[in-house]
Amino acid sequence: MKKTVALLFSLCAALVCAAQEDGVRDRGGWWNGNASYIVPIPEVSVTGRRPMKDIGVQKTELDSVVLRENVALSMADILTFNSSIFVKQYGRATLSTVAFRGTSASHTQVTWNGMKINSPMLGMTDFSMIPSYFIDDAALLHGTSSVNETGGGLGGAVKLSTRPADADGFGLQFVQGAGSFMTFDEFLRLTYGDSHWQVSARAVYSNSRNDFRYTNYNKKENVYDDEHNIIATYYPVERNKNGAFRDLHILPEVYYNTGRGDRFGLQAWYLDSKRGLPMLSVDHREESDYRNEQRERTFRGILSWKRIRGDYKLGVSGGYVHTAQAYDFERSLGNGNMATMIASRSKVNTVYGRADAEYVVRDKWLFTADLSAHQHFVESADRNVLDLNSQSLAQGNGKRVVVGYMKARIELSAGVSAKWMPTERLGFSAVIREEMYGDKFSPVIPAFFADYKLSKRGNVMLKASVSRNYRFPSLNDLYFLPGGNPDLKPEHGFTYDAGISFATGREGLFALSGGATWFDSYIDDWIVWLPTAKGFWTPKNIKSVHAYGVELKLNTDIRLARDWQLGGDAAFSWTPSINNGDPADWADRAIGKQLVYVPLYSASATGRLTFRSWRLIYKWCWYSERFTTSDNNMKSRITRVLPYFMNDVSLEKAFSFSWSDLSIKAAVKNLLNEEYESVLSRPMPRMNFEIFLEIKPKFKQRKTDR
Amino acid sequence: MGGRFLHTLAVSALVVSCMGYGPMDEERFDTGLSDAGSGVTGRGLFILNEGHFMYGDASLSYYDTERRAVENEVFARANAQKLGDVAQSMVIRDGIGWVVVNNSGVIFAIDANTFREVGRVKGFTSPRYIHFVSDEKAYVTQIWDPRICIVDPSSFSVTGYIETDMDYDSGSTEQMVGFGDYVFTNCWSYQNRILKIDTRTDEVVDELVVGIQPASLVLDCNGKLWTVTDGGYEGSPYGYEAPSLWRIDAETFKVERRFDFRKGEHPSELQLNGAGDTLYWINDDIWRMEVSADNLPVRPFIEYSGTLYYGLTVNPVNGDVYVADAIDYDQNGTVLRYSPDGELTDSFTVGITPGAFCWR
Repeated sequence: MKKTVALLFSLCAALVCAAQEDGVRDRGGWWNGNASYIVPIPEVSVTGRRPMKDIGVQKTELDSVVLRENVALSMADILTFNSSIFVKQYGRATLSTVAFRGTSASHTQVTWNGMKINSPMLGMTDFSMIPSYFIDDAALLHGTSSVNETGGGLGGAVKLSTRPADADGFGLQFVQGAGSFMTFDEFLRLTYGDSHWQVSARAVYSNSRNDFRYTNYNKKENVYDDEHNIIATYYPVERNKNGAFRDLHILPEVYYNTGRGDRFGLQAWYLDSKRGLPMLSVDHREESDYRNEQRERTFRGILSWKRIRGDYKLGVSGGYVHTAQAYDFERSLGNGNMATMIASRSKVNTVYGRADAEYVVRDKWLFTADLSAHQHFVESADRNVLDLNSQSLAQGNGKRVVVGYMKARIELSAGVSAKWMPTERLGFSAVIREEMYGDKFSPVIPAFFADYKLSKRGNVMLKASVSRNYRFPSLNDLYFLPGGNPDLKPEHGFTYDAGISFATGREGLFALSGGATWFDSYIDDWIVWLPTAKGFWTPKNIKSVHAYGVELKLNTDIRLARDWQLGGDAAFSWTPSINNGDPADWADRAIGKQLVYVPLYSASATGRLTFRSWRLIYKWCWYSERFTTSDNNMKSRITRVLPYFMNDVSLEKAFSFSWSDLSIKAAVKNLLNEEYESVLSRPMPRMNFEIFLEIKPKFKQRKTDR
Repeated sequence: MGGRFLHTLAVSALVVSCMGYGPMDEERFDTGLSDAGSGVTGRGLFILNEGHFMYGDASLSYYDTERRAVENEVFARANAQKLGDVAQSMVIRDGIGWVVVNNSGVIFAIDANTFREVGRVKGFTSPRYIHFVSDEKAYVTQIWDPRICIVDPSSFSVTGYIETDMDYDSGSTEQMVGFGDYVFTNCWSYQNRILKIDTRTDEVVDELVVGIQPASLVLDCNGKLWTVTDGGYEGSPYGYEAPSLWRIDAETFKVERRFDFRKGEHPSELQLNGAGDTLYWINDDIWRMEVSADNLPVRPFIEYSGTLYYGLTVNPVNGDVYVADAIDYDQNGTVLRYSPDGELTDSFTVGITPGAFCWR
């Protein structure tokens, strides 16, 4: 590994020497058309009308600079450092969920090109399975604002999408990453485009042994004398056990623009993942004796048509999702064979359809309507059990049956909205949404938005919104065996928010924008899984939660001098999320306490310093202590996840040759070499490195070089 | 200038890097029962708190029944390490406590007086209970592994296995009781049998089919085995039936009596008092019944108080009853202490999901 890194460094040094002059002189075909990472600072318009679709909407948009920062990052990594929402990571390349405003992961609705990708079985989305390089646009819709897209987002929604590559002729990009713990990341993108067609194919392949070393403070090793007396103890330095992973993602896309207002798109995303489930740091079993592995194959395909004319837009899309997941827990029998202890299999097939329309009336009114349907077919099979009639020593094991469920459910969502801007400064929006899951209708989901431009100078906007929302139980909540509870009610609640935002700047010199939002949510019938006397868990509607708080964000870009640019994004959240339910009994100390694993405070900041074709990025994030018990016990020695700071840094350099553009990047994660846990008993890696080499050959362009 | 820079750097480092994750401090304990030897005094009670599954926050509490004082997380505090994931059961033999930590695959041996580790046994798949056959041999039952491990306590090692006819994906053995040269164990998860093991040959020599999923097993003063089944669950392909309490003669290994509960009830945690003549169990309320009774009791010993009781034990010396209340399974639980007449005499906070007890 060290040799590989040294080789890459040598290569980098050679490239620096070879291209130093050329890189500065030749500004063709790289970042924004030159060999510099400097991004022009646009003018902040004081007269331009804001999009009517965004009246009163609290939205965080992640731009391509953020999304393209590192080929190896998942969307979980991106959101950790670039948003105020809470990302719960169980480790490196393991389950990562996101939650808005003190809610849970299943209260975050996630769409990809308009199609919901939350697991219909679990209700949540694993963001570690979404490579940031497959996402061209990402927007976070906080709280009420999610009702514009879909229901069920009691916390909010994450809207992910792809778009045409804007290629002119053939293009190729290849990135090779190599890093600590035998990590290799490869990214390839082929593009072709002309005035009508845009074709792209992306592939990401990541694999890692992921066996990082850490000092295990949860466990001690004993030193014994000859009579088996313990004469000394020490905290062992262990490796992350069973954490190896291999992920493959392929995403072909075809877009056709008739040039007369009609656009067609086809996206097909295939992922094949095989991941070990790392053993807990308190596990005393030997890694070689077990196989604890999760595999997933998912295909998502969407075909869409959009018509954009002067005063209306129409869109129709259809899609299909197939997911096959397997989980195996096996034990070595010592003779080369493995005995299966748990074998879970699940299959989900989803057929999706959506139609939406927008109509503008004299630039004052915008009417929208959408209708979407997701028809799920789910098979969940968990462990084999013996048939009752074959239980005897004499008969041995006979017929086998499977514990699981097979269900189909249609999920319909329809929404209409009217948006009105009586004056340039003032806007109102009303949304009515109705959802049907299976044969159950939600009550009407209403949302109201208003905004007002307080000052044109500085684009100071006031925004406010209110909504009622519902989330239906997932299929596992209802039908999982054992424990599924078909009598569960939907979770429901009210959300209010209000905020102020501003944007100012001078073209080419600086841009500064920011905002502050207060929110207040009440969620009732919150679903919680609880153990039963029979040894399994069952979900119940038990909690009432009051989540409220403040979100702050600040973004800036400053041109320090010619060829020097400084950029920064910062976010801060204060999110009390209080259990307001009825006490389970007189001893219940959880009422009035912060929900488990929801940080009260969180913050993130990213700084970017750019000099011509050099770019230095520093990322920082912080979470306050997260409680792992509902009574917020702070006296314990064993149940605390202490405040968590993280610092990452990367340095990259772009080169431009006549035959190709190149870049090289070195990234350091956990710069301060912290020892920490993000989730109890799940160690995280200390300082680690990765180096990336990117190449973009210059093919003959169809038209003039840009 | 240089000093100011270093000062700024130091402050910045603090801002970005205080996390406090690291070694625990060790504490010294003394229960004052070091002269108790192998006898049960009824003066000390260990409470095993399962913790959250997959959080690794299981813990051990110790309650002094005379001083009415509890110490929590005593294993972690005495040894500066975590107990592990899902503390399942504990047995004390000759002043050594053997703590079975199910999902950590380990059994810790601790000094029952100081709580300090004296050794550990590893090599299990998913250990549930330990039963001492002799000073040189103990059995350890498992879930997700049909084999019962044979352990040499003196060398803290697994020396062999008792094979059963079950498979890995559905085989399980649970609690054990000894009777003469035999040990009996109930097969719980997706099973319906009691196995009889000959300790001289370490082989299963007989089996007895009872109801679906026998969850507890005790031996009374008359040499009768008692087991209570949970009846499975609705929708289980293995079957779902009314739970039942079974009396089995240990000598003949034949069923003598069967007491049926109503379908949907969930009796669990079958326990005996010190004399072995009275049964206790949880079925929403706390129930008790003399082993000579002909019918199930109609009135509970302690009434259900709005929460799911999770653990139960009876002081073998004075008959006090201890009930573990896991509350919401997400916070430190409470143990309620009742007199033999059912009067609440004390309550104390323990760890997360208290599920099992062990008497000192």
